[in-house]
Amino acid sequence: MWKNYSADYLKNNRARGGSIMAASFIAALFLSLLCSLFYHFWLDNIEGVKLTDGGWHGRVTGKISEADLEEIRHFANVEEAAVNEELSHAGQTVIDIWFRDKGDTYQDMTRISKILGLTQDEVSYNYQLLSLYLIRIPGDPMPRLILPMYLAIVAVVCFSLILIIHNSFAVSQNHRLRQFGIFSSIGATPGQIRVCLIQEALALSLIPILLGMILGIALSFGTVTVMNAFTEDLAGGRQMPFSFHPVLAAGIFLLSLLTVLVSAWIPARKLSRISPLSAIRGTGEPALKRQKNSRILAWLFGVEGELAGSALRAQKRALRTTSLSLTLAFLGFMLMQCFFTLSGISTEHTYFERYQDAWDIVVTLKGTEIGEFGRMEELRGLKGVTDCVLYQKTEAVCRLPKEVQSTELKALGGAEAFGEDLISVGDDILSVESPVVILDDISFAKYCRQIGAEPRLDGSILWNRFWDSKHSNFRYPQYVPFIEEEKMEFVVLQNPETGKRADSKDADWEHGIEIPVTAFAQEGPLLREEYGESDYPLVQFVPLSLWQKIKGELGIGGGDSYIRILSQEKDSPELLDELETEAAQIIGTEYDLETENRVQEKLDNDRMIRGYELILGSFCVLLAVIGIAHVFSNTLGFLQQRKREFARLMSVGLTPEAMKKMFCIEALALVGRPVLVTLLLTIIATATMIRASALEPMEFIKAAPVMPILAFILAVLAFVALAYGIGGRKILRLSLAEALRDDTMV
Amino acid sequence: MEILRCEGVRKIYGTGNSQVTALDGIDLSVEKGEFVAVVGDSGSGKSTLLHILGSVDRPSSGRVLIEGTDISAMNAKDAAIFRRRKVGIIYQFYNLIPTLTIQKNILMPLLLDKRGVNQEYFDQIVRSLGIADKLNALPGQLSGGQQQRAAIARSLIYRPALLLADEPTGNLDQKNSREIMDMLKLSNRNLNQTILLITHDEKAALEADRIITIEDGQIINDERRV
Repeated sequence: MWKNYSADYLKNNRARGGSIMAASFIAALFLSLLCSLFYHFWLDNIEGVKLTDGGWHGRVTGKISEADLEEIRHFANVEEAAVNEELSHAGQTVIDIWFRDKGDTYQDMTRISKILGLTQDEVSYNYQLLSLYLIRIPGDPMPRLILPMYLAIVAVVCFSLILIIHNSFAVSQNHRLRQFGIFSSIGATPGQIRVCLIQEALALSLIPILLGMILGIALSFGTVTVMNAFTEDLAGGRQMPFSFHPVLAAGIFLLSLLTVLVSAWIPARKLSRISPLSAIRGTGEPALKRQKNSRILAWLFGVEGELAGSALRAQKRALRTTSLSLTLAFLGFMLMQCFFTLSGISTEHTYFERYQDAWDIVVTLKGTEIGEFGRMEELRGLKGVTDCVLYQKTEAVCRLPKEVQSTELKALGGAEAFGEDLISVGDDILSVESPVVILDDISFAKYCRQIGAEPRLDGSILWNRFWDSKHSNFRYPQYVPFIEEEKMEFVVLQNPETGKRADSKDADWEHGIEIPVTAFAQEGPLLREEYGESDYPLVQFVPLSLWQKIKGELGIGGGDSYIRILSQEKDSPELLDELETEAAQIIGTEYDLETENRVQEKLDNDRMIRGYELILGSFCVLLAVIGIAHVFSNTLGFLQQRKREFARLMSVGLTPEAMKKMFCIEALALVGRPVLVTLLLTIIATATMIRASALEPMEFIKAAPVMPILAFILAVLAFVALAYGIGGRKILRLSLAEALRDDTMV
Repeated sequence: MEILRCEGVRKIYGTGNSQVTALDGIDLSVEKGEFVAVVGDSGSGKSTLLHILGSVDRPSSGRVLIEGTDISAMNAKDAAIFRRRKVGIIYQFYNLIPTLTIQKNILMPLLLDKRGVNQEYFDQIVRSLGIADKLNALPGQLSGGQQQRAAIARSLIYRPALLLADEPTGNLDQKNSREIMDMLKLSNRNLNQTILLITHDEKAALEADRIITIEDGQIINDERRV
């Protein structure tokens, strides 16, 4: 049938294949972009593992001689074996092994360990790296999530694309229902009809698939470049090199082809099963199954509205792809905009707004205890530095008599009413797991002055503020005092590792260190972290000199220290960058440090969000393009599909102006319906998100992303209107006499 | 030689209250070379009978045997191959493929079977039907009479056992109707072609050797005219 029918048909009806070609192109573009991006994400994951853990596949540890190493190297599957100098020490050699066929890593490592006489404990595997290649080693604790997740997403996308584009094929194929009925009546088998339709789909979609594939790869290159630009200055940000593998290209091509062919096969199978009699009787004209009035359109636009409504219902099947893809595009775009707006508000609340004045630069001294760092004076002397705090965070169990609880806390049911995770209550005693913040002495004295207390270095300042979670949420918290200040002169601290909960039977009341409480505070020192909220009652602020005396007895040590710097220049990223560099130079290379600055962090955060918006927005635009392409293909075929419908209307006196009005209403309804549906869904979803994030609805309403959503809707509407304008012009030029001739009689 | 046999053929459309019995126990036998006209009012079931005989529809019960093969039990593929090789159908509205030339339309049953063309036979048909000069035209470029001749040529190209014609002159003027009937008679006489003609035109029916009258899905009269 290809030679005698399809080839000529496709040659003489190029416009008819438009929607199929567009659908195939977009499917290939979408899949190519997605697969290519996932390939890069996967490579990036592998690169990340190689950078942190190394690229070895198997590792042996033990007394391994040079001869043993040679023996390992002689294994057929061993690509490379090398001594890991960093991990090896006297008497114990660590050999990293790379295999040619990674799939045989476990079997070969077992053989190697047997030959060298090593136990299983002396053999280890790079589980994380091997899991990325989907290689399972017995006893491997790593879940294989990344690659299966990518594959699952691609499978879902393929399925969704089939759902969306199979309708393009159905519309094109059903248009020739009568012709296939005739073929069937003269002896074409269902298989011949199916093959003919699949061949046509193949011929129409081959070039669009190739073009879509190439453009998708080019877009993925663009996306990788954009993502690299976004992550360029991020701390720990790694540049993703663009690479391409022929197997990936072949895979994308086959996947796109399969998606397109399945999309063509579904309606082809259905069509080939229709009896020739039904097919011949079908006129190909869309028909309504039951009468249903378009009340809203009729009420809004009069008789033209009613006519447009019934025309849209008659084309419901043909326009299903459009409705589906536009609905998904609007839904995705609206949800994305609302989500990022909410996320922005939330970030402002929890981070940038609240900590605007709390820090400009923070230096993390990794593995350095607060007492080990002695260059604070130099840092304080740096030009532009207005304040500099050195601090360390740790935790201790804080023990206090039960009767010291404040009246307000007792009125709320006492400390026991607020959960048992951090607070435990015994018969007479309360124990609270609370943070201890150690400040350098100068900063501690300054803090004392800040809260109006006498600067003393022999005791701690107790944060006496407790979040009343029964009457307020975390976003807009209300506080009550935790303890009655007059009743509390000292606090007993215990090591959290050895300290017992107050409600345990063998609670240890003997051990612990008494520290005088020199002051109570309702506000904390200016640090990057926030204390005194949900999880942290009774935070202790302790001066460094006191901490040095008690830490040995308390047995708490280790961890990181932090330096918080405030600068005169708060908004200039360049000057903050300069200060950050100078601070790092003073601290010197003997410390393992990481520096962050607030402005840069905000810029990075904004960039990340813009990056996400760009990627998600592109997917929404792609979905909208599918819908719009379908509208175009539908309206370009107007002359053929709807000339009789309009000829009948014209013959009973429908004016060209009324026809134009009908087209406008149809375009409006086609875009308006998905907008209304998604608006409703977005309102419900956003209300849920607002509730979950405990924000005031008015705050969101004020910042609601009306403009971008409106711009997106208007852009889609403009394209749909253009499509109707082009199709409508063809109909308006129609000769009534010619249109009324029944072309099904040929 | 019996070429067609129907045994208790029933065809029921719809279910429950909307059930309609289109054919109600049709028993029929047609000999090779017979020219049979089936007449009846609109809705009597004559077109349903033709569709069942042409294997484009299936009976609800009963058997239809053409050259000894029961076509009522065939699956879709076998029925299509049978239609292609054993039955030629001529419709009132021609049913030519509008995008194919007249030549390809005529040859389509052979092409579907991947069979070569007997050029001599093809020439004989198109010449006798008077469409030899229209072979490269598209159906839309021909008159109704010319299109119906092309449809007849297509139905004869495989030398079918049975030629079924459903109101072949129903859409034609008197002159063309006359010519089409003459051609059918000619193929019946010269090629010994078995023809079953569905019509409500009494004049056309009188051209046949045998006239079967159907009413409410049942044969009420079977008259041999020779």
